[in-house]
Amino acid sequence: MVQFYLDAERLPAFTAHLMTQKTVIAPHAKGQKSFTFETVTEPDQVVLDYPRVMQSIRKFFLPPREELLTFDLTENSYEVTDVEPVNAIFLGVHSYDVAAVGRLDYNFSVGSPERNYLTRRQGAVFIGVSFVPDAYHFSGSVNIRPEDATGCDIFLTKLFDGYVLEVHTEVGEELVEGFDMPAHDAGRPTTGHFQQHIDVPQTKLSEIMEQSYDNAVWEETAEQCVGCGTCNLVCPTCYCFNVDEAVDVTVTKGHRERHWDGCMLRKFSEVAGGEVFRESLASRQRHRIFRKFKYISDTTGQPWCVGCGRCTAACPAHISIVGIVNRLISDHGQAVVAPI
Amino acid sequence: MNLNELLPSIEPQSLYAPVMAEIKEIKRLTSMEVFYRIEMPGGEDLGHQPGQFVEVSIFGVGEAPFSISSSPTLKGSFELGVRKAGMLTDVMTRLQPGTKLGIRGPFGTGVDVEKFKGKDVLIIAGGIGLVPMRSMINYVLDRREEFGRLIICYGSKSQKDLLFTDEIAKWEADPKVEFHVTVDQGGESWKGNVGVITTLIPSLNLDLTNTACCVCGPPIMYRFVLMALKSKGVSDESIYMSLERRMKCGVGKCGHCQINSSYVCQDGPVYHYPNLKNLQEAL
Repeated sequence: MVQFYLDAERLPAFTAHLMTQKTVIAPHAKGQKSFTFETVTEPDQVVLDYPRVMQSIRKFFLPPREELLTFDLTENSYEVTDVEPVNAIFLGVHSYDVAAVGRLDYNFSVGSPERNYLTRRQGAVFIGVSFVPDAYHFSGSVNIRPEDATGCDIFLTKLFDGYVLEVHTEVGEELVEGFDMPAHDAGRPTTGHFQQHIDVPQTKLSEIMEQSYDNAVWEETAEQCVGCGTCNLVCPTCYCFNVDEAVDVTVTKGHRERHWDGCMLRKFSEVAGGEVFRESLASRQRHRIFRKFKYISDTTGQPWCVGCGRCTAACPAHISIVGIVNRLISDHGQAVVAPI
Repeated sequence: MNLNELLPSIEPQSLYAPVMAEIKEIKRLTSMEVFYRIEMPGGEDLGHQPGQFVEVSIFGVGEAPFSISSSPTLKGSFELGVRKAGMLTDVMTRLQPGTKLGIRGPFGTGVDVEKFKGKDVLIIAGGIGLVPMRSMINYVLDRREEFGRLIICYGSKSQKDLLFTDEIAKWEADPKVEFHVTVDQGGESWKGNVGVITTLIPSLNLDLTNTACCVCGPPIMYRFVLMALKSKGVSDESIYMSLERRMKCGVGKCGHCQINSSYVCQDGPVYHYPNLKNLQEAL
């Protein structure tokens, strides 16, 4: 693996170099405090020093709304909507969001591989950037370090007023070709410590969940929870969707589209006739947490929570996912506080 | 390693593209339920197992899952029994033969008929649960020599809610079918059993060593049927249950039908009861 030093002042030039090769999608500032991944049109729009983006890059591979097919009501016929690969360089992605893409890849590949998602995923290139954990990040507790380059073609680690740029793949090598940077051989720093921790190693979490099905924490959390589904909306590994029809004003044409859905919403488990199989907020909270730490994890061995902290940061009722998990741990006397 | 290196090759066909199939026959079963016989393009068989389901869609209205009511032994078309319970089913009741519907599937895990072969087959159907169970019933009737006794317990709200009454008459007349029916509310014209479906179970004469049982009905029914079967001495291993959930995509992606870790559209809707014991949300 080759290391270079990229001076922060040369970041726009590096971005411009990337833009000559492919579409570049990178974090932009949105207002005073928010950040969002958008297609770069001017190299100086890119902000690499950010706590987290509102929506992970999931939105490019699994768009919030996506047309599945168009139909003609007069002919009673349809056409499947074409899907184009995103085929872009994702510049400045945090390690937990790269990990989240890997989780989604699994979900859309397992069983019946899904053409829509997998087509969009083609040609994506990932340039990661290290982050400084804030009051909500806890990815260290699920084995995702701020400087973890897993899945990245290139990784940038912040160092003083620049970045250590590591090239991890052949795709990455091609990207930096022709862009002059000094070599770097002094290694790279670790970038800060987490303020939030889950109190046991992640390998123990499934077992803790197993014992926590009837824990009082679900009811207690439900008393705070307003059932708005924001936690689902911002989660980079949530992938559930619903499908709806949209008919245009002429009532001759329309399309079938899918949109994000969330298991915290009451109607999520409703069937025709009105039966709701997860009626209580407590049962929905448990389902959400179990989906992140148990159900898929029992098959894959990995937590489906990547520790980004979005659900906690965005929750209007200040419900903390780390708080819930640590409560389950302490109720079973399992807390093993280890420095992470 | 780049994440892309782990991706599988892309399926050429969209999972969400329906096949346009023609309604050949429509019959009103009750005031709420309608029967459809549907032909796939070219009269091709659907290729399903009893207990599986299809996604039916009407453009501009929506798509929803329906259990297949016909046996795979019926060739050239398949049948549905649909209760008017929402927008799609409401529009469906107003369709005419010749109309084309979007069909995806068959999906899910149906009845493992091999496990029933050589055994006495006990069917317990409550209300609209008879629709999917009819697939298994007709399968057994069409391959009668491969199975032992066929015992059907059917519970309905009232006489006017009974489904497939012409077929019921045949089952009642068939010496090789033991058909028991009860209604929750009797009436003047009703001469049969009155009571919930569990009242039929205690008097059944079962060979406990050689019976396999299939249960389908409204959510509330399962626990009580289970208790009645257990007190009868029926073993857990011989019980199969078909569960209803919201199988929106049918292909294990959308998340709506999950019971704990299990996707009903993949592992179900027909579950072997021992596998349900670890799914606390199931019954």
